[in-house]
Amino acid sequence: MAKRTSIAGRTIATPLILSALLLAFALLAVMVGSKPFNQTIIDIFLRVILVVGLYVFVGNSGVISFGHIGFTCLGAYAAAWLTMPPMMKQTLLPGLPDWLIALQLPYWAGAILAALWAALWAGIFGKVLMRLSGIAASIATFAMLAMINTIYSNWEDVTGATSSVVGIPILRSIWPFLIAAILAVFIAWGHAISRTGLALRAARDEPTAASASGIDLPRERLIAFIVSGAIMGMGGALFAHSIGVVTPDTFYLGLTFITLSMLVVGGMGSLSGAVLGVLILSSLIQALRWLEAGVSIGTSTFAIPNGVQEIALGIVMVAILAFRSAGIMGNRELGWPKARPVAPATTGQQQPELNKGVSK
Amino acid sequence: MQRLGADKVTVAFEGLTALSEVDLEVSPGQIVGLIGPNGAGKTTLVNVLTGFQAPTGGAVSLGGTVLSGLKPHEIRRQGVARTFQGGRLFRDLPVIDNLEVTGIGLGQSRRAAIAEAERMLDWVGIGALADRIAGTLPYTDERRVAIGRALMGKPAFVLLDEPAAGMSAAEAADLAALIRRIAGEMGCGVLLIEHNVGLVLDLCDPIAVLDSGAIIETGAPAAIRASEKVRHAYMGTAADSDLPVLEVME
Repeated sequence: MAKRTSIAGRTIATPLILSALLLAFALLAVMVGSKPFNQTIIDIFLRVILVVGLYVFVGNSGVISFGHIGFTCLGAYAAAWLTMPPMMKQTLLPGLPDWLIALQLPYWAGAILAALWAALWAGIFGKVLMRLSGIAASIATFAMLAMINTIYSNWEDVTGATSSVVGIPILRSIWPFLIAAILAVFIAWGHAISRTGLALRAARDEPTAASASGIDLPRERLIAFIVSGAIMGMGGALFAHSIGVVTPDTFYLGLTFITLSMLVVGGMGSLSGAVLGVLILSSLIQALRWLEAGVSIGTSTFAIPNGVQEIALGIVMVAILAFRSAGIMGNRELGWPKARPVAPATTGQQQPELNKGVSK
Repeated sequence: MQRLGADKVTVAFEGLTALSEVDLEVSPGQIVGLIGPNGAGKTTLVNVLTGFQAPTGGAVSLGGTVLSGLKPHEIRRQGVARTFQGGRLFRDLPVIDNLEVTGIGLGQSRRAAIAEAERMLDWVGIGALADRIAGTLPYTDERRVAIGRALMGKPAFVLLDEPAAGMSAAEAADLAALIRRIAGEMGCGVLLIEHNVGLVLDLCDPIAVLDSGAIIETGAPAAIRASEKVRHAYMGTAADSDLPVLEVME
């Protein structure tokens, strides 16, 4: 048998291509040089982080999670606690311990600790939740989100309850967000090609056969839950630094459904789908926003009525799901173009080729 | 010698007894057959032996170790493997990854799992299919992948659940040769559950016959052929001929 190349060697093209795409968006923002456009691209990078974080668990395990934005909330508030000026914390969040009030870390250190904080809670929640499967697991993740939201909306001295927590240092540079998005892509890729990623993808399609193969399914799911929780926490921290203000409701149902929608449209079983889902839907949203605001063509201005954006987005999503139920990418990944040798079957009648396949 | 045994295993659902005090034993290198009409409880027994179904009475043991109560992945790690009706391959993954997953489940390093998977695919005769996506294989190759996946880590026992279903006579003969090698070359104890009774009579000794959740006969192929109880179980009535039922059950 011919010597096989390592799985990392066979699949490295995917994170490299996705990183190049993200870099292209960043360079576009730099070339355009407009502040609103810069912020638009930062928002896209934040969504990439969140959707990729969601993919690490949902894409590999096949369990839909409605709760991951809870980890984003944990990360965002952790970043606020760690990076706000002590004076502001003393005023807005007097219930924090004195050492935390006195602490003011740079944003990157805050983001790392926020990721670890979210990962810790993902481990605690996941220890219980990962024993569940299917719709029971999905509902339980939603309960987790509701629990986090309720606590953060009511713990006035520590979270400011429903009031806005202001004074979080704002980052205007696009590069930290680009680096974090690329880091998220590489972490997701590293997890997918790891032992635990392979075991989890096998179990996603055939949990019974995976158990019969010696796979401890709750354990593998828990690892993915913790890794994805960490990415969501990092995304939450950067989210906080992108707007400088957090409230619990920023990280609730709206953000949950937009991230899930982008993952579903891109293709739940594909890292490339997660990134492309964000880039395509975000570009579409932005284009429709511009058209709603009005575009000058010669001496006349062309504009579409307000509200068309939501309608058009809904139509696109329905169309994609109707004609490509597995999303734009299905289970495939972007890779270098090359012919793939296919060995003939040894015996029997060929079954129809399924619309599936992971580029490896 | 380490034996896999079911000791008075009973599975009762509400008002329905799927298995009733079933005793069964498999030794290393032995090919034991398990036959019975549809609904007799054959797959339920396999599920009990591999931890997918908890018995409501009795116990499953491996040597001196009680397996009942362990989870399926723990039983697999103890050396009791199984295949499923219909294959249940990881259809999106390449064939080699299907086997590698078991290596990972058994705690092997990635490199060791891939190396064993390559050797195993050659051993079961489908080395050329290593990079094919499993979901695109013809069913006869699917069965070989499923068997190769179950044999990763050289389990002490393997339970084959209807591996010959849908196969032609020639394909079933190839499968029979493979099963003999599993017992002979690997020293693995095999429990073969099959509707193709001719295949079971050819390969297995002893053979247990399950009907309505109870073992009604256990013995050598000749004894099973001659058994009135077995005839009755399959035909619903005693027949005069010398167990013709076994040919019509394919």
